[in-house]
Amino acid sequence: MTWREWKKKLSELLEIPNDVMLNLPRIVLMGNLQAFIENHRGILEYTPRIVRIGIEEGELEITGENLILRNILPDEICVEGMIKTITFK
Amino acid sequence: MLLFRLMNFIIGYVTITVRGEAPEKFINMAAARGIFLWDIARPGEHVMRASIRLNAIRPLRHIARRTRCRFHITRRVGLPFLWMRLLHRRALACGAILFVLGLYLLSSFVWTIEVTGNNRVSSREILSVASAAGLNRGMLKWNLDCSAVEKALKEKLPAISWAGVYLKGTKVTIEIVEKNIPGEKDQSPAHIVAVKEGIIKEILVFNGRAVVKEGDTVVPGQVLISGILLPETAEQEQQAGSESRENQPAPPRPVYVHAAGIVRARVWYEGYGEVPLVEKGERFTGRNVTRVCMKIKDREIILAGPARIPFSRYREQTDVKKLPSWRNLHLPVELVISKYREVESYRLVRDRAEARCVAGERALQAVQEQLPQGARVVHKQLDELAVKSPENLVRVKAFVESLEEIGTVKNFVPEEEPGIEVPAPLSQP
Repeated sequence: MTWREWKKKLSELLEIPNDVMLNLPRIVLMGNLQAFIENHRGILEYTPRIVRIGIEEGELEITGENLILRNILPDEICVEGMIKTITFK
Repeated sequence: MLLFRLMNFIIGYVTITVRGEAPEKFINMAAARGIFLWDIARPGEHVMRASIRLNAIRPLRHIARRTRCRFHITRRVGLPFLWMRLLHRRALACGAILFVLGLYLLSSFVWTIEVTGNNRVSSREILSVASAAGLNRGMLKWNLDCSAVEKALKEKLPAISWAGVYLKGTKVTIEIVEKNIPGEKDQSPAHIVAVKEGIIKEILVFNGRAVVKEGDTVVPGQVLISGILLPETAEQEQQAGSESRENQPAPPRPVYVHAAGIVRARVWYEGYGEVPLVEKGERFTGRNVTRVCMKIKDREIILAGPARIPFSRYREQTDVKKLPSWRNLHLPVELVISKYREVESYRLVRDRAEARCVAGERALQAVQEQLPQGARVVHKQLDELAVKSPENLVRVKAFVESLEEIGTVKNFVPEEEPGIEVPAPLSQP
């Protein structure tokens, strides 16, 4: 059992939300128009068609059209535009 | 979000264009340092656009150097930039300041004084007292002591019972409540005489002696209630006959009083009205235009309203407003407000019954103008005047009978001679 699974078990036992315990990103989607990503690790790539955002383990890829970054804060990103897919890699 | 935008506007923000191999690095580093970026777009391969607050520009240079990017400012928005532009246009700034200053300065004077509520005491008198108490036109607003002026008005003018002085804007309103002084009761000898012809309906005597009775016909000037009270004996003597008067050596003198009473009589009025069967004339169509002009010496500048009057025939009504003159200084500027009301000629054809109706109304209207206040109409009658030759005119005569008070006070000088007191001529006009 990996360290990660231990932590997951522990968080379930203590009823602590997973994103706090495991440092996971919290993603809020507004239909296909807006995506708020909290707890990110910076932008890896940004073009109007693809946005790659670093997260704790791996990266998050958002594809769509006319994507813009509405705002960037040290731990929050808001992506706006026609979102098509969200993929974890 | 609105608050956020407002804050951005106040602080000021710029849109920058970042060029470099990896603009993402630039953005990441800026975000990691707590620099707030928004509206990030990527118009080209190595170009990125973002908005940033003005106070975060300085650390950005360092970030640009470390990420090997270059950035330059493409758009400047916000209050600091507006302020800079204003500093370049000195005259505009000066004008704005002068305007505010002028507005403040001009609104700190008392420009108009209005007196309300006075009937017997003249406004001029009130204003002169107020002026002595320190309220003048053109004085500074904060030098005005309203309560002192009120006090002075109450002290100096005995005819007023209360005075209020209010300052509102540049206008001072003096509100006056006058004392209700009961008038001296007139006690000089007087008769009640008739003012018009009529038949006495009722007579009520407060003081004096009734000379006429109900049902009598009176003519204007006739005494109705006499102010001469004959002693008992004299009255008996008169009833006895004139021959017995010579036997009585010294009849007691009559008493002269101020007669008072109510005398109501039936009075007749006549009124006449005529209406042509075909009527021509001019009337207003209800359409009108208003023109506001500013007149400076002989030049007129139209501020509002059409330059040309769109009516062929119209009546003009002009109202000129002038600025108050000060000392010998008259400003040659006036505001002329003209109202143009369109008129049209009309031709109205009536049938006889309709015309009679209108003529009757006109005749009654003519009577109504003669009727005094408080008259009660008892009876009215309309007669059409028939003329031999037929004409395009309906003539109607109105007869109105009204019940009204016809008595009025008329002073007289009592006759000094003790022997002769003749009530007889008093009952005759």
